[in-house]
Amino acid sequence: MLGGAVVLWLVVNGAFYYMSSVRPGAVDKRYARHILIGGGIILPVFVLTALLVWGLSILPDPRRPGDGLVVRVTGEQWWWRVEYWPEGADTPVVSANEIRLPVGQRTEIHLTSDKVIHSFWIPALGGKMDMFPGRDTMISLLPERAGTYRGQCAEFCGASHAWMAFAAVALEPAEFDAWLEAEAADAVAPQDEAAQRGQEVFLNEGCGACHAVRGTPAVGLVGPDLSHVGSRKTLGAGRSSMTLQNLEAWIAHTEDLKPEVKMPSYDLTGTDLADLAHYLNGLK
Amino acid sequence: MRMVLLTLAVLAGLGLTGAAAVVGFGLYNVSAHAGHWPGVSWVLHTTFRSAVKLRAPSMEEVPPLDDPDLIALGAGHYATACAMCHGAPGQPRSATIRAMVPEPPEIAEAVKDWQPNELHWIVQNGVKMSGMPGWPVTDRPDEVWSVVAWLMTVQGGTPSPVPQATYGEGYCRTCHGTVAGPVPRLDILGSDYIADQLAAYRSGLRPSGIMAQAMSMVPEDQDAELSAALSTRGAGDEPSGSGMADSRGSDLAAKGSRDVPACVACHGADASKGPRLAGQNEAYIADQLHLWRDGVLDHNKLMAAAAVELTDQEISDLAAYFSGR
Repeated sequence: MLGGAVVLWLVVNGAFYYMSSVRPGAVDKRYARHILIGGGIILPVFVLTALLVWGLSILPDPRRPGDGLVVRVTGEQWWWRVEYWPEGADTPVVSANEIRLPVGQRTEIHLTSDKVIHSFWIPALGGKMDMFPGRDTMISLLPERAGTYRGQCAEFCGASHAWMAFAAVALEPAEFDAWLEAEAADAVAPQDEAAQRGQEVFLNEGCGACHAVRGTPAVGLVGPDLSHVGSRKTLGAGRSSMTLQNLEAWIAHTEDLKPEVKMPSYDLTGTDLADLAHYLNGLK
Repeated sequence: MRMVLLTLAVLAGLGLTGAAAVVGFGLYNVSAHAGHWPGVSWVLHTTFRSAVKLRAPSMEEVPPLDDPDLIALGAGHYATACAMCHGAPGQPRSATIRAMVPEPPEIAEAVKDWQPNELHWIVQNGVKMSGMPGWPVTDRPDEVWSVVAWLMTVQGGTPSPVPQATYGEGYCRTCHGTVAGPVPRLDILGSDYIADQLAAYRSGLRPSGIMAQAMSMVPEDQDAELSAALSTRGAGDEPSGSGMADSRGSDLAAKGSRDVPACVACHGADASKGPRLAGQNEAYIADQLHLWRDGVLDHNKLMAAAAVELTDQEISDLAAYFSGR
């Protein structure tokens, strides 16, 4: 991309420099006609036809059937409810706010929405696809290189539309399978005393009314599943990176960080807040 | 033409001067003994009747008024807020009240000729310049129906009895523990929770005309003592009903849905965040959920957020489930 841009820049500016400084003045009529016909008609016809043929050939790609794995994504205000349905699965692996895909395999992403129209877009992997309440749409993606890409809601969906993003992580197939197995498991038990206290804060504050942490009494469905929240790259659907400090800020200042979000800012401070953040960060 | 304008201006000036003299020098006699000039009472009363008929809610908004608990709650509120002026069965108006201008009509006289929707408007809004006060809070028209329900028993000729005035804990127990339905049970609640609610009713944070009136009858320094006395948490912990394990309400309460948080995370047996709901009166739970859902109650942002997506059906399911536990 950058190389092409540099070449174009050099050609255009070189031609301009040549015409204005090296050979100023009128040119031969026949020479001018060649330039016009060659550069204005023949060259664009060849280039654009080639591009059109190539473009039409890849146009059906996002609609091609996948190689087995289906990822079901529901747009919420303003986050992503994610379910992985490996081929033949009866129950999904429930996750949120991050899409992981195996490299070299085409994965079907089935899209729908809760209340308003959103649009699912990972620019590095493919085009946009709108998500409608009460209707299913599909886009299939084939990541070619492992890496982390940014995904973003591309349809205005309310106050925090700009903060509705996610990380798309392409993993080598073996790595992906291992990750999916871990994601399917229940949340790990608190690893130390602080995490234990953090879990108590989580349950006492009623967080489980909206959030599920599988393997604990927290079974809520309103907000993102937090069973493995600590293993995600981002926090608050792409709002910030997953660090202890950001977790504390998110819990105490949710409404400032994401205007009109359903989750209220929690009036927690000191050890309670630190332990809770520590517990969540430990849910790898 | 100039002459006409000049005359009008002089007359207007004289009129204003006269009015200023009446206001400023006390020429109008405000004595209640003096009464009104002939015809004035008729004009005022007719204006009142026409205004009520124009503004009353539609008859379709009238809920069922024959619920004994609703009537009993209305009778309790009437006894403390209204009886002093309008009297009550077996409780005549005092001589002083009867000397008011206009004289507050005895209750059987006051309610005759009115439809329940019109009585609701009068109790909710009060009547300016007559001494009749409006409901103490503006955003709880739902509560007013309890008084209307009691008034309809008066109108029907068989008034439901009105409780005797009492003080302290006994005053609270006039309704709590005596009346079910829309009145919450307090014995299942913690004393800290009750104390918080009393403070919220006092400050107006939690709007309720009935509780605002009740709190104004209780000295503030008694709140802690009353909260402790009314709460007997732990003693009555056994489920009071038959249990409704498989109801729609139980599922929603335990797991929630994509729109509704799981109630038990804050209101369950092990939870300490919200008040206990198991065994609470059904109509009270339903009323409160409607008020939270509709944004009338908003003093707790967690509960406000939790209730916002509830449907009417879900509210009745949850109320049936928790009251039956």
